[in-house]
Amino acid sequence: MHEALLTLGFGIVTAAILALSAVAFTLEYGVTNVANVSHGEILTVSAYVAYLVHSRTGSAVAAAIGAAVAGGLVALAMYMSVIGPFIRFGASPTVVFIATLGISFMIQNFLVIGFGAENVAYTIDPGAPQHLGPFLLTPLDEQIVISAAAITLGLYVIVSRTKFGKALRAVSQNRELARVTGINATQVAAATFVLAGMIAGYAGFILAESVGTFNPYFGFSFFLITLTASVAGGLGKPFGTVAGAVMVGLILEFAGNYITASYNLAFAFAILAIVILVRPRGLFTNARRTVFE
Amino acid sequence: MSAYVVSVLTEGAIFGIMALGLNVIWGWSGDFDLAYYGYVAIGAYMTLVLTIGAPTPPAQYILGLQLPYPLAVVGAIATSMAVGLVVGLIALRHLRGIYFSIVTLGAVYVMYVMAGQYVPLVDGYNGLSGLFDPMGDWFGLDYQSYQYFFLGLSLVCFVLVFLFTARISGSRFGMALRTLREDERAAAAFGRDIYRLKLKGYVLGAGLAGFAGALFAAYLSAFNPSAWSPVEVIVLYSAVLVGGRGNIWGVALGVLIMGMLVQESTRFLPMLPGLGQLNTLHPQVLLALRGVVIGLVLVLFLRFRPQGLLPERRYVDREPVAPASMPAT
Repeated sequence: MHEALLTLGFGIVTAAILALSAVAFTLEYGVTNVANVSHGEILTVSAYVAYLVHSRTGSAVAAAIGAAVAGGLVALAMYMSVIGPFIRFGASPTVVFIATLGISFMIQNFLVIGFGAENVAYTIDPGAPQHLGPFLLTPLDEQIVISAAAITLGLYVIVSRTKFGKALRAVSQNRELARVTGINATQVAAATFVLAGMIAGYAGFILAESVGTFNPYFGFSFFLITLTASVAGGLGKPFGTVAGAVMVGLILEFAGNYITASYNLAFAFAILAIVILVRPRGLFTNARRTVFE
Repeated sequence: MSAYVVSVLTEGAIFGIMALGLNVIWGWSGDFDLAYYGYVAIGAYMTLVLTIGAPTPPAQYILGLQLPYPLAVVGAIATSMAVGLVVGLIALRHLRGIYFSIVTLGAVYVMYVMAGQYVPLVDGYNGLSGLFDPMGDWFGLDYQSYQYFFLGLSLVCFVLVFLFTARISGSRFGMALRTLREDERAAAAFGRDIYRLKLKGYVLGAGLAGFAGALFAAYLSAFNPSAWSPVEVIVLYSAVLVGGRGNIWGVALGVLIMGMLVQESTRFLPMLPGLGQLNTLHPQVLLALRGVVIGLVLVLFLRFRPQGLLPERRYVDREPVAPASMPAT
């Protein structure tokens, strides 16, 4: 029982990081209706930027800001250079899927050229583990969970209470109709990519911090788990995605603890395949409206 | 012919078989299958466990037979087709588009993780080795002449696969697959069993992947998780796309360009004046450079010439249509 609670605590940390990455992915999906396979590379690039900033300035806050800014810029570049033009050109979702897979391949290899394929150690002192209720968490873990919750809350406010959020939801639901009402869909989508990229960039920073090492393929592996969480929560549904991320994060942590962590990726995909086959629209779409709608 | 040219041609022939198999699934049936390289790997692993004999501890792997190479090739193809059948039965039932791609991506990562982590299967990260010059002793070949022999064997296999897919291309089956790609609903309306047809195409493609894998294993004489990666399939997709998706002559051209020209040209970059310092950088830099070029070419072709350099010929009904005669009044 005690061990189960400890695992639950670690699961919440995994889930928090996963939730940020998955929410960002699902926002990108929502405004474009295509899956951005190069999403994981936003996390990777941001991890490198965070590492560089951190080693120059020695400040974790600067590293976090650097990661978020880099993530926003990378996502914007992806949208402006490939995803947006492909959508305007009338490419099918599968074609954009392939194109973004190509971008992902390019960025990974760029990073190999720049930094080598080896693991970069990103070790910062996580602080002494302390008991927090039934959990055993380090101050770093606590910071990760709290910041992720705060960002999710902030995002909720942006999406549900602001004018930009309204436009975002309109474009997500019906791009053509949104354009008819005078919304500049391209601009809204680009802004959404910046927002999502910043969240993903921050997720890349905390993931690198919590794992302790990263390499050019690190974001792609995490993208595979992100995809599972997003599909489980319902692609394009931010709120369901958070629930999906918590579920997948906990399952992975428990499976990793009780079976073995090396099979994490295989587990994630077993979940993914079952969800897609049984409930392709996500687990939580039974409710008539998600909170974000 | 230098050893270098021999190795480039051999790799090209094997790569060509992979691309032709992928063309069945993506070019004709129209499914963006990401599990494809998994079938290549299964073919390679299977060939090794069927030929290299029982494991010597601490190595451990399944089977460990010492069959003659051709028999092992058949076993490898059969295994790839069987796994392809299982994946296809699940993934092709209802899923299309990106959902199909995501599930096949999942399938290949399950294969990759199993091969790399579950040691009793194929010895985990160490992988398998020890298939030296299969069939060489039948003809009493030494190391030098064996390279030529294997090049010949690979080229013959490529030509056979090419002729085989050429035959399928014009057959009713090939036409039916293309119909599914263009309009599944119309095919169903004409009484085609979509699921069965797609599955047949998928298993056929997986079998060709297994065949290529069997040759690849003999060429490398070893196989392990660092010898392959699921994303390697992008190189195959770029070859099929650049050459001309659906047209086997185009696929062959694509293999020549992406598989051989791009692959090999990055190797010579350091010889250009002023670029010699490339050699002193990270050892993976040239390989990574190739990856960047391939990703870029993939995106550019998708955007500006999705039909490829040699587009698939559209089938036109050349029979003259008799002018409708006026009904007798």
